Amino acid sequence: MNYNLTKVKFTNLEKILFPQLGITKAQLIEYYIRIAPRMLRILANRPIVLTRYPNGIDKGSFYEKDAPEGTPSWVATYKIHSETAHRDVNYVLCNDLDTLIWLANIAAIEIHIPLSTIETRDNPDFIFFDIDPEPPSTCEDAMTAGLYLKEKLDRLGLKSYVKTSGKKGLHILVPVVQEYTFKQTRAFVHKIGQQLAEEHENVVSEFSDTKKPGKIFVDYLQNAQGRTNVSPYSLRGVPEATVSTPIEWSDVKKRIKPAEFNIFTVPSLKKDPWKDIFEIKQKLDGK
Amino acid sequence: MAKKAKPSRTSRRPVWSGSITIGLVNVPVKLYAMIFDRSISFRFLHKVDNHPLKYERVCTKDGKVVPWEEVAKGYEVAKNEYVVFSKQELEASKPESDKRIRLDKFIDYFSVDPTYFNSFYILTPDNSNDAYNLLLVALQKMGKAGAGRITLRTKEYPVLVHAYQNSLVLTTLRYGYDVANPNSFEELKELKTPNKTELDLAVKIITDLSGEFDIEEYEDNYRRKIEELIEKKLKGETIVVEKPVEEEAKGLMVALRETLKQLEKK
Repeated sequence: MNYNLTKVKFTNLEKILFPQLGITKAQLIEYYIRIAPRMLRILANRPIVLTRYPNGIDKGSFYEKDAPEGTPSWVATYKIHSETAHRDVNYVLCNDLDTLIWLANIAAIEIHIPLSTIETRDNPDFIFFDIDPEPPSTCEDAMTAGLYLKEKLDRLGLKSYVKTSGKKGLHILVPVVQEYTFKQTRAFVHKIGQQLAEEHENVVSEFSDTKKPGKIFVDYLQNAQGRTNVSPYSLRGVPEATVSTPIEWSDVKKRIKPAEFNIFTVPSLKKDPWKDIFEIKQKLDGK
Repeated sequence: MAKKAKPSRTSRRPVWSGSITIGLVNVPVKLYAMIFDRSISFRFLHKVDNHPLKYERVCTKDGKVVPWEEVAKGYEVAKNEYVVFSKQELEASKPESDKRIRLDKFIDYFSVDPTYFNSFYILTPDNSNDAYNLLLVALQKMGKAGAGRITLRTKEYPVLVHAYQNSLVLTTLRYGYDVANPNSFEELKELKTPNKTELDLAVKIITDLSGEFDIEEYEDNYRRKIEELIEKKLKGETIVVEKPVEEEAKGLMVALRETLKQLEKK
């Protein structure tokens, strides 16, 4: 057998990571191998944060910013000084297939990314709307709100891309030229959220309103330096093994079920709805 | 796991061999360890993949691993200030074992306070049955222990040799300066004489509870519990360091080939 295809030494492949569905680490690794061609270009040069579940999703997880001890020397890392922790944090950069496979092998089920790359860390290349339904609101309600948002962005001449969060929410991204600060993008997202909240009864735009039942929160706070969100095509540490999946706006109109996008179905999706996301750089002040 | 009886034989190899000398008399002997620490020991594993961890000597300046050739020993005379020794220098100062246990005094074994007892070794005759037996019987008859000294590896110890269960046992002793003096505690100096009624009561309790001591009545409960767990894990969910399972790895290789082809196209 030819192991030269990867530098990664696989361990404990038959370990069960999703006990409800009996999904093994081998299946987790295979998922990330198969999704790599779509995922790597998004991860490239973004200091990632991991959520690891070394003994499966039922046995606890931990957040990991620092490249873990035992990180192979061929894995690229990027040092950022943390003001809050008063020390340097060595983030993993997942710029190649081997690194992605290695992450899967250490049971990093969830991969989170910031909205800017290391080349221009202070200037995001995406603005990000997190649409989060508060029960009894459902993901269908989140989709309704998502469509309001798309309409508004369309009217501003901004092309937007949508993905499931892998849980109940929707994430909407707008690629922008890398010349805005996070403060500017955050203010922009907040303003749009406030307008939506005014126009639609169930939508709220302030964090303080999120605990009211049945509301749909358009979260602008994610647009900040150092903040990370679940990466497109990252698995979620939930029993259904769902994936935060880029989808078409037409899927949102059809009110697709987010649970349909999971470890089994996503690798065989034919189309990449985000194919041209890196070719489009938009300005926020109109045309 | 079967409950282990007291180890009948110590270990195959003697720790030391030489002679007991008393004046002009010479008794060739071998020395076997008598004390075993049988507490449970664990190996550290990397919990993510259950591989054993190893220790490395890392330089505090640059965090790099230091090979043994570059290791020296330093005696810290002040904070961050060391007197440095090479291996050769220390080697030259080591006491040389003259392969003798010189006994120059005979005393009552228990006249030495047990806090000085360090470790115990079983002495066996080394083609010297008659001389060994003579010394053993004489010590048994007199109820005495021989006092002297021995050099084990690089350290010199005061020792006692006494008769114990039909054999000679060597007791290494600690030096006086190795044992702390309880009188150095202030709170112990302030103790007052208890009143009579209290003391009478305490004496009564102690009298009621007086008896024989049997070490077999004591057991390390932690050790027993862990042994039970080990037994359970051995039956069921043992953690073994696993090599990649061929079948599963094969599936991954198929996926890898396809992905690598796709990535090449881009």
